[in-house]
Amino acid sequence: MGNAVITRNLTKRFGSLVAVDHINLEIKNGEIFGLLGPNGAGKTTTIHMLATILKPSEGTAIVAGYDVRKNPREVRKKIGIVFQDMTIDRHLTGYENMWIHGRLYGLSGNELKERINMLLEYVGLSDWKDVEVRKYSGGMIRRLEIARSLLHRPEILFLDEPTLGLDPQTRVHVWEYITRIKKEEGMTILLTTHYMDEAEKLCDRIAIIDHGKIIALGTPEELKSMVGEDVIYIRVARGNGNVRSFIEMLHGVTKENAIKPLAPGYFSLTVKNAPEVIPKIFDMAREFNVKIMELRYSRATLDDVFLRLTGRRIRDETGSWADFIRMRRAIHMRRRR
Amino acid sequence: MKDFIDPFIAMWYRQVKRFLRAKPRVVATFMQPIFWLLFFGLGFAAAFRTGGAVGPFMGLDYLAFLLPGVALMTVFVSSFMSGISVIWDKEFGYLKVVLVAPSSRKASILGRSMGDATIALIQGLIILIIGYPLVPSMNMGNIHLFILVSLLVSISFASIGIIIATKMKTIEGFQLIVNLITTPLLFLSGIFYPIDVAPDWLKPVILANPLTYGVDAVRLLMVGKGTFAFTTDLICLAVLSVVFLLIAVYQFEKATID
Repeated sequence: MGNAVITRNLTKRFGSLVAVDHINLEIKNGEIFGLLGPNGAGKTTTIHMLATILKPSEGTAIVAGYDVRKNPREVRKKIGIVFQDMTIDRHLTGYENMWIHGRLYGLSGNELKERINMLLEYVGLSDWKDVEVRKYSGGMIRRLEIARSLLHRPEILFLDEPTLGLDPQTRVHVWEYITRIKKEEGMTILLTTHYMDEAEKLCDRIAIIDHGKIIALGTPEELKSMVGEDVIYIRVARGNGNVRSFIEMLHGVTKENAIKPLAPGYFSLTVKNAPEVIPKIFDMAREFNVKIMELRYSRATLDDVFLRLTGRRIRDETGSWADFIRMRRAIHMRRRR
Repeated sequence: MKDFIDPFIAMWYRQVKRFLRAKPRVVATFMQPIFWLLFFGLGFAAAFRTGGAVGPFMGLDYLAFLLPGVALMTVFVSSFMSGISVIWDKEFGYLKVVLVAPSSRKASILGRSMGDATIALIQGLIILIIGYPLVPSMNMGNIHLFILVSLLVSISFASIGIIIATKMKTIEGFQLIVNLITTPLLFLSGIFYPIDVAPDWLKPVILANPLTYGVDAVRLLMVGKGTFAFTTDLICLAVLSVVFLLIAVYQFEKATID
């Protein structure tokens, strides 16, 4: 078990902006590795450098055994990539897009033909292969791009925000393909995402990246145990029983200062393990004759990990806004073309 | 060798396929030169005939003077537009797909320019044939040389388009830049009037324009009148097309997505 990707102080500057700041990573053969972070964290820039289409300002990376600076051509032969924005020629059919790609990678003849048909079948686009891509839905284009990236049997697959802008159902489909590719082909996959659920569901290991730096690295479970806390939200009926004493008692099951009032009669408390604590809360409520109207809890998420590390959330960063702009731009462009 | 042929064929195929798919574009590229021939050419030819003005046009009827140049204009506009359309690949991300492939970039860009040239050449030929009934005195026996000249012109301008596109950072002002470049090149090429009647201060620009030699050559070939010797035209064109092609290949070779 060697390493598929090793980065050494990989750095990219755009003018005075440091987009990627001395990143050192080791991605093992055969794992799905996730780069999780908000938009603008440097995820795409990192992928572009690993894929040899952007020159590092400093440091380097070894991809599939070759240095991206010294041997870009050898690296290119070993990798497949699905870019963040759609990179399919919309005026060609699905089959034609695949065919041109195959020729660019030195495939031809019957071998290429069979491989294309097999992959189109794999992503469920066989019936659409002779239709111009501009008539495809966003999800279909993504599936075609995934099929295209597999054409030359790469050793390492880069997926840059593979489900950005897709509807929930299509996202689940794309996730299925990714896990199948790993299982059936034993491919190493590096994916970037700013969706916590995606990272958690797919990745064997995750690096959390912010402002171009890796700020945490580990399996999803390891990362979440860094926070090690669940949050319980409770709403009680007002003017019923002794609420004050009830809250006083709650301090016994939580850490200091871990009870936060959110609204009159509504508060949250942070605990080590919610399922254990909740029965005790009900016991106390009965004791003080307090009526609980609502109780729910949430377990620590990767977003909480990010919050703990940076004081900000991944989600409501520029994220949604940038997505919005990007999607609007995509729609605008499609119309213009 | 296969390393070169494969990407060359892939990119050639892409250009030709895309063109055939875009029906409005096919129609538009034919309409423009036809408008020039019919609405401009017929009118001016009639006007000059009334005044008996054949002298300024090398002793040719104005339609005969105009037609070979308009056919070559089609080649020029088509190849330049295809070349500069690399900017759209940049904008839509397709360029990344080409850059991340292990295949020879030289071969990719050569395939692309030859694809552009193929389309441009066919368009020019079609205009020439459509115009033939208007100028039956044309020497169609020279059509193979017309093809050669068209090929050189389209390689030059597809390359110039690619050079500009790789330099441009955004598509802002795309249309403006296209007009800013094509309009002077068209009017200062001898398509519409003989270059020796142009004011002296314009002549250096005219002589620096690759299109001038192309127009001169095809006029000489098709209607028998020209300013320079055919070999002079051909040598100038060949040198210019090779130079521009090499610059385009070099630019593309070192392109990144910065």
